[in-house]
Amino acid sequence: MNLFSELYGAYYNTVAKLIAAAIRSPLTDEMIRKIIAEEAFSESEATIFSAIKEQRWQIIDPDGGTAIQNTPTMPLTTLEKRWLKAISLDPRLRLFGDIFPELSDVEPLFTPDDYRIVDRYADGDSYQSEEYATNFRVILSALKLGAPLRITYQREGRPEVEHILVPTSLEYSEKDDKFRLIGDFRGKAMTLNLGKITECRIYDGELPPQTPSEEPLSQCVVLEILNEHNALERVLLHFAHFRKQAEQLDNNRYKLTLWYDRGDETEMVIRVLSFGSRVKVIQPDEFVGLIKERIQKQLTYHI
Amino acid sequence: MAYNELIKNYEKIRSFLRDFYVFGFRGRGDYTEKSGRSYDDERRRIESWMGEHTYSRKDPDGKKTFISIDSRVSSHNPLYNSLKAKSFTDGDITLHFILMDILFFSDRSLCLGDITDKIYSDYLGKFDDPAFFDDSTVRKKLKEYVDEGLIKMEKRGKTAYYSRTEEIQDTLSLISQDALDFFSEVSPCGVVGSFLLDKFPKRDSCITFKHHYITHAPDSEILCRLFEAIGQKHCVIITNKGKRSSTPADSVITPLKIYASVQNGRQYLLAYHHESRQINTYRIDYIKSVTRGEPSPYFDSQKKKLSELESYVWGVNVIMLHGAPRLEHVEFTVRAEHYEEYIVNRLQREKRCGTVEQVSENIWKFSADVFDTYELVTWIRTFICRITSLSFSNKLLENQFKSDILEMARQYGIEIPENGDVADPKKTEGQA
Repeated sequence: MNLFSELYGAYYNTVAKLIAAAIRSPLTDEMIRKIIAEEAFSESEATIFSAIKEQRWQIIDPDGGTAIQNTPTMPLTTLEKRWLKAISLDPRLRLFGDIFPELSDVEPLFTPDDYRIVDRYADGDSYQSEEYATNFRVILSALKLGAPLRITYQREGRPEVEHILVPTSLEYSEKDDKFRLIGDFRGKAMTLNLGKITECRIYDGELPPQTPSEEPLSQCVVLEILNEHNALERVLLHFAHFRKQAEQLDNNRYKLTLWYDRGDETEMVIRVLSFGSRVKVIQPDEFVGLIKERIQKQLTYHI
Repeated sequence: MAYNELIKNYEKIRSFLRDFYVFGFRGRGDYTEKSGRSYDDERRRIESWMGEHTYSRKDPDGKKTFISIDSRVSSHNPLYNSLKAKSFTDGDITLHFILMDILFFSDRSLCLGDITDKIYSDYLGKFDDPAFFDDSTVRKKLKEYVDEGLIKMEKRGKTAYYSRTEEIQDTLSLISQDALDFFSEVSPCGVVGSFLLDKFPKRDSCITFKHHYITHAPDSEILCRLFEAIGQKHCVIITNKGKRSSTPADSVITPLKIYASVQNGRQYLLAYHHESRQINTYRIDYIKSVTRGEPSPYFDSQKKKLSELESYVWGVNVIMLHGAPRLEHVEFTVRAEHYEEYIVNRLQREKRCGTVEQVSENIWKFSADVFDTYELVTWIRTFICRITSLSFSNKLLENQFKSDILEMARQYGIEIPENGDVADPKKTEGQA
């Protein structure tokens, strides 16, 4: 059971597409190049094209046809079945309405007992809730249809409110273990926690007047990292999921530039603080001010 | 040897990928262990696989190529592409498509001789110089596919007959593309979901991710082998090169459980180390290879022991002394005004063990007994600006924590008071 195998490779997938096209009609050179460009890596064209033309891969005939009779398919491998079986044990699968009855005699690749997320927050969404699962599926349908949604939303301790918005994506945070609906509400991006949606329906009425949607504001912060106690690697791994650029300043100091959404500024401040004196904010001044304000306040407690 | 964008040995590219993605400031001259040509080849491969996600810039000391991905924008992990670049021979790919076609209908089973005959009679006739596949080559490929689960073999008398496995005929109806979009990103060994997604027509995913770490992708094969060993309760020999060791070392261990962080993307193996007779923690990105061993006599007892100890694990470390847990006590208090309930909520939802209690009107206390106080330090620092007291049984760390706050103040040019306030507390209203 090999995971790193040509069976799952980009080249095999590309050649399967070439054969499928050749079964329909003989391939021209242009068609071959187009399929390779769509399916394989940016430098694959020369290799695949020449292997076919030089008859080293004897699957596409010299005239562009093929002796293969059936559009290529591949049974699920043992690895794929075992991974799917492992997924079937995940409570989040029911959100998608999928079940795998055919896999009853397959051993899962892993079980929930084999794997532990150590730092996920404890107040994740309730995937067992029928209401939650129904809302999830309605949102997913609306996203595919491009349809607006009428949503009833309730924050803790506040009365229910109703929103009509055009959904743009369902965003999942692994740290929070929550789904959020991102939508367009009168030209402004709106984020709603799925766990707080009490009712959700596709809206077929008239939309309120729409204004062009605003792009989320991207903000940049520049950090200086002092590489003591492996701080460089810890910081770079921690911020790995952002668009970023790192530079070495001298033997022990590094500069890291990160781009993040302006709405996440408070979160960024506490994430930077978590590295203590090994990370210093260089720019922008407003961000430096936020850090200084917290340190100043902390000093008043004389711990 | 001529450059080929496909590779035979994934381990060779693993450290390059990690360097390009996580660090991104190293250039050709920094790879002293490898030849310049090797660096150029690996860089070129990564640029081809990662496409738009690779960037380069010129520094005074040369060109630096790096990978930068905003995983909130990219719905699918681009690093998975590297696991779709395994090399193969001309014969491998030719045989693959011919065999899958000969055995296309799963109710058709053929013996080796019939299959070999068909390869020539039905498939290779139009080529100028038809490839030659002898019985041994075809048998070997069939056996490989039996091992991978693509083909099944049954004996009738002394003759082996081959057919495609009773196909779960339509993968596309077994699992939805939406579910694969999701689980290929959040599930262990998610690259397998990406392999399955490749069977579907391409389209944009409706699901996006925040706080999404994709760094683990190059470790997928190692993780898969560890899961296999855990499932079968086998011991393994790992070759491991830790941060402080200059050369890789082999260890015989019984893998027990995988621990993963969704706040830094690291994955760890907790395993029973046969020689030292204790549970150790191994970073999976430091493991170079996993070789399966015999069934382990330790698995059940050590797994039970680990589950008993888990309530003291904040991060990943288990520290024992003379066979008993070596625990440290941690406590700190924070101030949260009556309108700052979210601070109390943060303590409650972010703590991984221990307790949170209200000790006065605006003061809340967290306390816990843990294996390793150091693992909590980064979390406690996120409450800087409202920590009113702090006490660790590990006094060295407690003093380091306190002096580090003073060091931060110095860094930003903040005057450190002898006593008295330096800031107006009301200015921090609403701070997380």
